[in-house]
Amino acid sequence: MAANFWTSSHYKQLMDQEEVDVVQSLDKDRGITLEDFKLIKMHMANYILKLAQHVKVRQRVIATAITYMRRVYTRKSMTEYDPRLVTPACLHLASKAEESTVQARLLVFYLKKIQSDDKHKYEIKHILEMEMKILEALDYYLVVFHPYRALSQLLPDAGLNDISMTQLTWGLVNDTYKMDLILVHPPYLIALACIYIASVLREKDTTAWFEELHVDMNVVKNISIEILDFYENHRMITEERILSALNKLSMKP
Amino acid sequence: MGDNNNTNRGLVSANAAANSNRNNNGSHHKKPEWLQQYDLIGKIGEGTYGLVFLAKIKPPSPSRGKSIAIKKFKQSKDGDGVSPTAIREIMLLREITHENVVKLVNVHINHTDMSLYLAFDYAEHDLYEIIRHHRDKANHPLNQYTVKSLLWQLLNGLNYLHSNWIIHRDLKPSNILVMGEGEEQGLVKIADFGLARIYQAPLKPLSENGVVVTIWYRAPELLLGAKHYTSAVDMWAVGCIFAELLTLKPLFQGQEVKGNPNPFQLDQLDKIFKVLGHPTVEKWPTLANLPHWQQDLQHIQGHKYDTAGLFNVVHLSPKSPAYDLLSKMLEYDPRKRITAAQALEHEYFRLEPLPGYNALVPIQPGEKVINYPTRPVDTTTDFEGTTSLQPPQTASGNAVNMQGAHAVAGRSVPRPMIGVGMPRMPPQGMGPYNLASQAGMGMNPGGIPMQRGVSAQAHQQQQLRRKDPGMGMPGYPPQQKQQRRY
Repeated sequence: MAANFWTSSHYKQLMDQEEVDVVQSLDKDRGITLEDFKLIKMHMANYILKLAQHVKVRQRVIATAITYMRRVYTRKSMTEYDPRLVTPACLHLASKAEESTVQARLLVFYLKKIQSDDKHKYEIKHILEMEMKILEALDYYLVVFHPYRALSQLLPDAGLNDISMTQLTWGLVNDTYKMDLILVHPPYLIALACIYIASVLREKDTTAWFEELHVDMNVVKNISIEILDFYENHRMITEERILSALNKLSMKP
Repeated sequence: MGDNNNTNRGLVSANAAANSNRNNNGSHHKKPEWLQQYDLIGKIGEGTYGLVFLAKIKPPSPSRGKSIAIKKFKQSKDGDGVSPTAIREIMLLREITHENVVKLVNVHINHTDMSLYLAFDYAEHDLYEIIRHHRDKANHPLNQYTVKSLLWQLLNGLNYLHSNWIIHRDLKPSNILVMGEGEEQGLVKIADFGLARIYQAPLKPLSENGVVVTIWYRAPELLLGAKHYTSAVDMWAVGCIFAELLTLKPLFQGQEVKGNPNPFQLDQLDKIFKVLGHPTVEKWPTLANLPHWQQDLQHIQGHKYDTAGLFNVVHLSPKSPAYDLLSKMLEYDPRKRITAAQALEHEYFRLEPLPGYNALVPIQPGEKVINYPTRPVDTTTDFEGTTSLQPPQTASGNAVNMQGAHAVAGRSVPRPMIGVGMPRMPPQGMGPYNLASQAGMGMNPGGIPMQRGVSAQAHQQQQLRRKDPGMGMPGYPPQQKQQRRY
């Protein structure tokens, strides 16, 4: 169903982390490690964000595009589905699914503006072809739920809807798309983890509130730890590290 | 679903061959792999977005012989890939399952010409054809059991959609399918979700999709330019369809002013007012806020109507439960209009004859079973849409009858809108920017399991009931004040 998460295709498609962390064999042949795989997906998520800022779409469109991209790579290799093309194509498809269509020609215009190298000049036609391949790879499941809606409901409920907490948690949720959390956990749990982290950071006592929620706090805390670990590791990621991962893709095996 | 195991290359080469053979007597020997699981029978419909074909599943499939309607979407004309209409339809139908909603059984892509095919369970009949048969051939009305069963099932499907925050937006007789012979005989299937929308947390006002709903079934708030319309627009259409089932004539046959992006349709409003009388701000308080009500005072407010009386038009006693239900569906104020859930509970459905699963075969002994005609199939058109001997077609007007006049030598011609239904009015182009709606984030609780505060059950009821006339947003839970911004 389109409105109830528990009966949605999104819920049914949630995966275990181990399933998400599978590098396709074609990519393995090119020397892509699990770490490379995660880095490239993070780089692509950032790229989608960058492109989206140029064409001015809402955060939900960006989040849906990133989710599509992450889902595609649980089934398809980066060797066959070039990240540089999958990025704009996912944004194009997501913009249609979220009723905020961004024309492919506009995406191409900004792609050319952003891209520094001349190696991968993609045209409108390529984006449209890839859009169809993505539609197929997604098995035509397009409805995606995000933590934002839960967040905007939970914050006032917890009495934390001041501007500072709203901005902090919203930013945390945005950053969760640099990880695969959206493929693994129900969005409201991701929202709760972000509230948990924010309340610890800002020294707000939310213990009683969380207790009343009757959610499995172990899951919430585990997601929070994953997010904090990501921030910790993120500091070590260099541009060179990402480039070397991307370069492996263009090498012949 | 899909053909994930088919490589792109395979499809390309198979199809290139098919293309090169096409001029050679329309050969169907070389087809994309997925197409080979079907036997194409012919074309059964045509619309703005493409064509609809009838096909049968070939052996060795366990469902061999089963009829399938295949809707082919052409690549969108604006050169922007898969049309938003197709995306909308796929995305909704992939999520929903209900016995009164058409079943999407497969999606196929032909990468060569970038066309998209949706395969549905085939329904032999639709309300447009059933009504036409009674009016033009049988010369007698539908029996009460059939009317009630069709209406109940239509409401049952609609209640499911509305409780999942989906507005259909294009209900009309040709989009209400009825299954022919087989296990599901006489079962209603709501079809054509090309204009349907999830309205739970739209990123833009729904009206930005352009004007929707075929004019005859269009709710007065849409005709008057409402920006934030609701699931009540579907209930108005159901009321019009109910009346049409009773009288065999469209209730409000207005003349559409074409090529007008403005939703204001004076003639349609005129037809409505002639039957239902003038709406008043007393009865419909938010009327005063509707753009065209304000802008067109001399036309619509100046005219005085001698109301014919709805009961006279539909030949029902004003005291009958059927009339009571109909008048509640045709309530001017969308906030007071009956909901699908409420309608299902109406007295009309608790009186004999009780509605049944098979709307076409009455349970009472001695009742005549009507053999409705099967859908006309144009066997001259292939999947590429290439027609060898296609008679001229006029695709105009609301559900214009295409029979007879254009039929050539015993070959029947498909109507423009049948089968899995083709919406006539494309949504208007949506710009890439949506700054105006940046502030409106979704805040509905639909997808979020809240274990305190609103219980799941209470929430369900809120979705189904409309009891907060003060919000201007029927269908929404009353206490969610933030939602006013939609």
